[in-house]
Amino acid sequence: MEARRYHPLSILFHLWKLAKNCIFFVIYLFVIKAGSDSSFIVYGRYIFGLAVGISICSIIFKWLTNKYVLDDRSFHLYKGVFNRSEQTIPFSKIQNVNRHISVFHRFFKMTSVSFETGMKGEDAAVKFDVISQAEADRIEAYVARINEAEADGSEEPTAPPKHAENEASPAIESESTAQERTIHFTPTKRDIIKASFTSLSFLVLIPVILSFYDKAKDIFNLEEKAGGILQNILSSKWLIAVIIIAFITVSVVFGMVRTFLKYGKYEISSDPERIYITKGVVEETVFSISKDRVQAIEIEQSMLKRWLGLAEVKLISAGSSESNKSMHEINSLYPFLPVKRAYEMVSEILPSYQVTHGMNRLPQKALWLRLLRPSWLWIIVTAGLFYFKPTVLKMKEVWWMLSVALLILVLVARVLDFLNTRYALNKHFIQMQKGSLTTTLFISKRDKIIEVKVTQSKLQKLLGLASIGTINRAKPVHHADVKDVPRELAGAFYRWYIGRRSEVIAE
Amino acid sequence: MQSPLELPQQQLSKDAVKVWIISELITNMIGFVILAVLLFLDHLYSWKEWIGWILIGFTILSVISTIWSMINPFLLYRSWRYDVSEEFLQLKSGVMVEKHQLVPMTKIQSVATKQGPLLRKYGLCSLSIETMGSSHAIPALPKEVAVALRNQIAHYAKIKEVES
Repeated sequence: MEARRYHPLSILFHLWKLAKNCIFFVIYLFVIKAGSDSSFIVYGRYIFGLAVGISICSIIFKWLTNKYVLDDRSFHLYKGVFNRSEQTIPFSKIQNVNRHISVFHRFFKMTSVSFETGMKGEDAAVKFDVISQAEADRIEAYVARINEAEADGSEEPTAPPKHAENEASPAIESESTAQERTIHFTPTKRDIIKASFTSLSFLVLIPVILSFYDKAKDIFNLEEKAGGILQNILSSKWLIAVIIIAFITVSVVFGMVRTFLKYGKYEISSDPERIYITKGVVEETVFSISKDRVQAIEIEQSMLKRWLGLAEVKLISAGSSESNKSMHEINSLYPFLPVKRAYEMVSEILPSYQVTHGMNRLPQKALWLRLLRPSWLWIIVTAGLFYFKPTVLKMKEVWWMLSVALLILVLVARVLDFLNTRYALNKHFIQMQKGSLTTTLFISKRDKIIEVKVTQSKLQKLLGLASIGTINRAKPVHHADVKDVPRELAGAFYRWYIGRRSEVIAE
Repeated sequence: MQSPLELPQQQLSKDAVKVWIISELITNMIGFVILAVLLFLDHLYSWKEWIGWILIGFTILSVISTIWSMINPFLLYRSWRYDVSEEFLQLKSGVMVEKHQLVPMTKIQSVATKQGPLLRKYGLCSLSIETMGSSHAIPALPKEVAVALRNQIAHYAKIKEVES
């Protein structure tokens, strides 16, 4: 199999990125300091020109030298102009696949795709910056097919995909897989409206409104002095009211548009093997993950979402590339799912997961222990307040009030956390929920947990309590724990984890 | 805590206590020298009042922690247990907070023995174990035991489970 270059448009893509990065320097060196002949600026221009030249050369050389090839079990990547490197990434190490279609890609009807592994470092993902959609579909389907074949234990998958010419006829296999997909969720108008209120995106314009109001007041005050006082006050009040209403409308619309752009075109679908999350109106991203690579699920609810009966479901995956800062957003199923639908969907798309509704609460004595535990935040803040004794709102001797207020806040948070903490341990799963204002429910399977621990402080020992914790693969590794569970449960938890040997398959 | 696995039984080398006490003494000495210099400078240049208070606070804390560090090694030694089976590495440690850890052998990525000058003096090694999610250490084992244990863990860890 011959190694292939990446798509020629990737040169243009990188040039485009380079241009975007240069804009600041161009404006500074050639527009703002246009007339300047200080040596700093003059040399700066030369250095800038040189840097751009080198970058352009390196982009072209990179395109010429960087190649890839797929064989029947791995990607081979060839890199480097002077230092050549060859990297082999087996398909079996790929955790999830990410596509991002930016405006640039949309314009050329291309896409970018990255196959993400659980490795550390920069080369953790096989990334195609620009690739035709058909080719991306083909590679993705091919990788998925081989991994499935390997999982089934069947021998020799089909031959590697033939590299069709770019923009050739759409791949047949990708179409056939697309047909099997069931769509689990697409947001309705109501969902988007709810989402835009829950995400509070309409509040973004409030600072703008306030500053405008300030200015408006000044203007009207000036007029007041000039003309008929009464009438002007009336009219300005009317005007202000009109302006406020207008701004509220604008900000609500603005918030909705923002939410629509972000969450409008959302689609959660799955076929028997994989889960797909598609989102974005202008810039589209597609996240796909094989079902058995989902390390854990997290269901998160902020206070607002709890009131509105919404929840966010996140899939925890072991793979992500370093460049992907917004990973936690990408792996999220729709963040504003109605709670009931969220639970239904988890069991729909991940039939091997069962969410138990009846979870156990902590024993009463855990509450006392939690209330008694010293709060370092409170101690440090109180010590600071005691020393500085600040005056607040022109009142002296209020430092102890602030301290008491903070203590009450800390204790209320602890009581809320106690009330929200639940746990359940059934045959193959563990469920742990905690949080004071925002609650997080963590669900994982026994064979996906890579380590467990039980800790017990002296006080906990006295009260017959203990803390349990798990570690899951993710990037960075995911820790989850519940504090102050009954000691018996901690023992059961240990035994439960030891039982994983029965379900783990050895190679 | 009852469990179908035996509670871990293996103990560290008795010399661990000496090693810990000596190393604690050395670090505390260094700490006190730094504190003494700072207190002297504070006295000499009469820094702000609160700096003095903080320094005094640190001194008191250091004295307490030094006393504690003379007692702690004995308790820590008594609390430390480890055990290795074909499937799991078990660790138990901690004086104030007792910590039990259970690591499947299949998740262990690397084991290494390490030896600093103090450990070498007593013919000891520490064993560090890296897993996919974290790293663990068994401090202060006799050298032969450490090497044997390292090889045993490496052997057990070779068995791979299907990773997904």
